[in-house]
Amino acid sequence: MKKLTLLPMAAMVGLLFFQGTTKPEVETAPNHLAMSPDMPENIKAIVDQKCYGCHNAESKNEKGKAKLDWDAFEASKKSKQMATKGKIAEVLEKGDMPPAKFLENKPEGKLSEAELATLMEWSAGKKKKTE
Amino acid sequence: MKRWHYLLGGPALLLLIIQFVPTELPAVETDNSGDIIASGIVSEEVTKMLKTSCYNCHSNETEYPWYSHVAPSSWLVARDVRIAREELNFSLWQDYDMIEQLEKLDDIYLEVEAGKMPLGIYTLVHQSAKLDDAQRKVIIEWAEATMDVIAESEEDAESEEEEVNEE
Repeated sequence: MKKLTLLPMAAMVGLLFFQGTTKPEVETAPNHLAMSPDMPENIKAIVDQKCYGCHNAESKNEKGKAKLDWDAFEASKKSKQMATKGKIAEVLEKGDMPPAKFLENKPEGKLSEAELATLMEWSAGKKKKTE
Repeated sequence: MKRWHYLLGGPALLLLIIQFVPTELPAVETDNSGDIIASGIVSEEVTKMLKTSCYNCHSNETEYPWYSHVAPSSWLVARDVRIAREELNFSLWQDYDMIEQLEKLDDIYLEVEAGKMPLGIYTLVHQSAKLDDAQRKVIIEWAEATMDVIAESEEDAESEEEEVNEE
């Protein structure tokens, strides 16, 4: 069989597995974070240092901004915040954040074990009623 | 053999061979007691849209078209339906816990608002599944309102629990 006749078929089959991917953009200078007053200080500190660089309203990392914007988080409703925290817990559990590609260029961006535990407890924990 | 024999015969033979690659379409279940619509949080208008634009992939009630039984399109359908159900399966709605339901509604809001769902490749062959801007607005408003209802009902449940504990 001639190779040429296989090419279109191979291309078609190949197309089935094609998935659009976006290249992560590395964000270097984190801006200052102004977050909701009800967020615990220790959480704010970690987020400011390790997450906010990409996850903010002015981020050039479009995907990061679309997935989570800490500036918007502050202003969002309780139900939205609960959903967002649930997703954060999931991503942290899987070890997907900060992204491995990002850490290649910026290994110091990695969450320490203590930071990870703190963030996971905050994001996964059921909110406590204060009143 | 002439050149056109190869040109037609090659692909035809390949098409025949790939039919023997085992492909399993995710199973269809009609009895779904935990369905989101059965749970009563979906209006009639939204129910209709979910059924026509989402349920073929995001539920156990997939209606497989003929080409989903023929390779290579069967591979795409099987894969997409499998992934779709893993992400969100309306038939299993009541198995999700409160946070999961909130996450999924939030995803519905974001995906539908951004026009990412239903997938373009799906609406290409299922024109009736297309959502116009007005329909998208109805769905995202429903998702947002439902998130509030779920978050509030959880709060109520918690305060009731506390009351019981105090007694």
